Amino acid sequence: MSDWRYHISHNLGTLTAVGLFAVMFTIYISNHEAGLTPAVATTAANKAVLLALVAMAQTIPVLTRGLDLSVGSVFVLANCLASAIVVGTIGQGLLGCVAVLLLGIVCGFVNGAIVVWGRLQPIITTLATGAIFYGIALWIRPTPGGDVQYDIADFVAGQLFGVVPTALVVLLLVVLLVWIPYRSSPLGRGAYAVGSNEQAAYMSGVPVEKAKIAAYTLAGFLASLGGLILTFNTYSGEASAAIGGTYTLNSIAAVVIGGTSLFGGWGSAIGSIFGAFVLRTIEDLLFVFDLPPLWQPLFQGVVLLVAISLGAIRVFRIRNRLELFT
Amino acid sequence: MVRRFLKVLTGTVAALSFATSAIAGPEVVSGPGVQPECFAPLSAETKFLKFPKKEGPYRIALANGFVGNTWRIQMIKTAKAYSEQPDVAKDIKELKVVSTGTDVAAQIAAIDNFINSGYDAILTIAVNPTAFTPVIKRANKAGVVLVAFDNTFDSDEVIQVNENQFQIGVINGTWIKKNVPNGGKILEVRGLPGNSVDRDRHLGIRSVLEAADGPKYEIIEVVGNWDDGTAQKVTADAIAVHKKFDGVTVQGGSTGTVRALMDAGHPFVPVAGEAENGFRKLCAENADKGLLCSSAGQSPGLVAIAMKTAIEALKGETLPQFVSVPIPLVEHPDFKADVNFFPALTDNFFNSNDFPPCGVNILATDIMGKSEADN
Repeated sequence: MSDWRYHISHNLGTLTAVGLFAVMFTIYISNHEAGLTPAVATTAANKAVLLALVAMAQTIPVLTRGLDLSVGSVFVLANCLASAIVVGTIGQGLLGCVAVLLLGIVCGFVNGAIVVWGRLQPIITTLATGAIFYGIALWIRPTPGGDVQYDIADFVAGQLFGVVPTALVVLLLVVLLVWIPYRSSPLGRGAYAVGSNEQAAYMSGVPVEKAKIAAYTLAGFLASLGGLILTFNTYSGEASAAIGGTYTLNSIAAVVIGGTSLFGGWGSAIGSIFGAFVLRTIEDLLFVFDLPPLWQPLFQGVVLLVAISLGAIRVFRIRNRLELFT
Repeated sequence: MVRRFLKVLTGTVAALSFATSAIAGPEVVSGPGVQPECFAPLSAETKFLKFPKKEGPYRIALANGFVGNTWRIQMIKTAKAYSEQPDVAKDIKELKVVSTGTDVAAQIAAIDNFINSGYDAILTIAVNPTAFTPVIKRANKAGVVLVAFDNTFDSDEVIQVNENQFQIGVINGTWIKKNVPNGGKILEVRGLPGNSVDRDRHLGIRSVLEAADGPKYEIIEVVGNWDDGTAQKVTADAIAVHKKFDGVTVQGGSTGTVRALMDAGHPFVPVAGEAENGFRKLCAENADKGLLCSSAGQSPGLVAIAMKTAIEALKGETLPQFVSVPIPLVEHPDFKADVNFFPALTDNFFNSNDFPPCGVNILATDIMGKSEADN
């Protein structure tokens, strides 16, 4: 098999998500009466990047064959904290941003530490810590409100040079400066190894514990970055359980659409980004097509099922289907 | 090094955000506004806004959040029914409805999409009162009339339309005071905890019943979540414990509350409740047995007033920044079948769709005849 064929088959999940997104977004834009103006692109980018970051956060624990049910809560907690401390001058606001991201890292580290040293199931651990994080968010901001630093908020929620949505640039920077270095580092490769076969990874000298803790910590960082950007979109914070739940569940859907295996060891955060874009475009399609409100959830569900089925396309290129379960 | 980096970043942020700092929008003018009997300001401090006049007919959008309870569905149907009334239809080129669920980012994006697509006015029920400041700025900049109703914004930059919830509480309390004049034991069935509507109605009721110079009432409080099932259960529980009440106030789920009275064999007493069709049916049937009702409610017809407000704003009229909509109220003995309640319709139908001061009346048959389809 030549090199490029190997690359395509290795990244088939991601490429499927990219293709799906391209098709859906083209349908959306060609039916949008304003077309692809910078304003339309920014509107789509601002809400898509939020989910893309949370989906990236979810991907990394999933790669280790775990699951992080607290990503939505970290997202909401970061939103509430940011609405309280990203205030004042631009300099103070930026320091506040750093503090919010640090909090995300701490939340993620706590998850990782409990999973590794407490030896609890990730799904139960993060269910519990998620409730705790949400509780802290509610404590910080019992009623919706807050006033963030407008200049930073308008900058991040606006366009760079009046054309490119800044949120997309932030996402690109995260991919280039966080995901790609992580993916090729021993910790990143360790995450894949642990997800494929934890015993084999251990026997081969992979730092299993470090890889797992790093995975959850990075997830906390990415989820809190999402929450920070939500704050810039809304100028305020709200401890909403509904939003936390929605983002957690949608992040798992985005991971699956992006071709990452829920059994671990296979996939990519890039795929999840496009998975998130696909999910958001499904919502946008409701804007350009006229559907009865009571049919909208049904429509979304059907499109979602089709998208996830496409994500499972690798069934077709496996000689022996038993390989799927190894 | 870090400091220098911060400084450069600060400069960049400041330079790039400069372009967005100029804000257009409505002009703040002095009142009174157009049709003050309909568009009443919330208080004496409410400021008046005036948008530049635009030529009609207008393109109007409804950016709804949550959909999936009968109130919201009836609200969407009402919007369509109202927009098709002949004297309204001539001003409306297009009405588009989108529901985005509970995700605040999705609702912001929907409003942005309507702004980007050049709609003249956008009506919305906000999923959160504080998160819309940036989108309000963008709407004002684009010259789009944004009108929030029902769940309103914490903002004085846009026109908002709502009923005075404290006043609804006062109406409830006054009914009890009038019909239980010598004091007694009152059951208060509250709404969804933490919500401003629940708080304001509660304070309104208490302001009447706890007045120092009035009769003495012992008030038993239960939480009914504005839901028939919950209200029925908590009322039944309260009757089991307290045996007898002299009057009942209920914020929502009134049908359930009255059914609980009936099921427990509790004698009929005066009830001040919401505007559900089932409640009014029971009131009309049992009035002669002592079920004396007052029925005032948050109407899904608010959407019609919001739409009327938006149209007046687009015509360049002066309007209060916060419109306090007249409360649709029916009290015993004015319950009339097929006028203010409808025996043929479901118990969940909200009856209060008649706003005489605004010249707005949407017939139940018109509402129920509309599909809830977005278009």
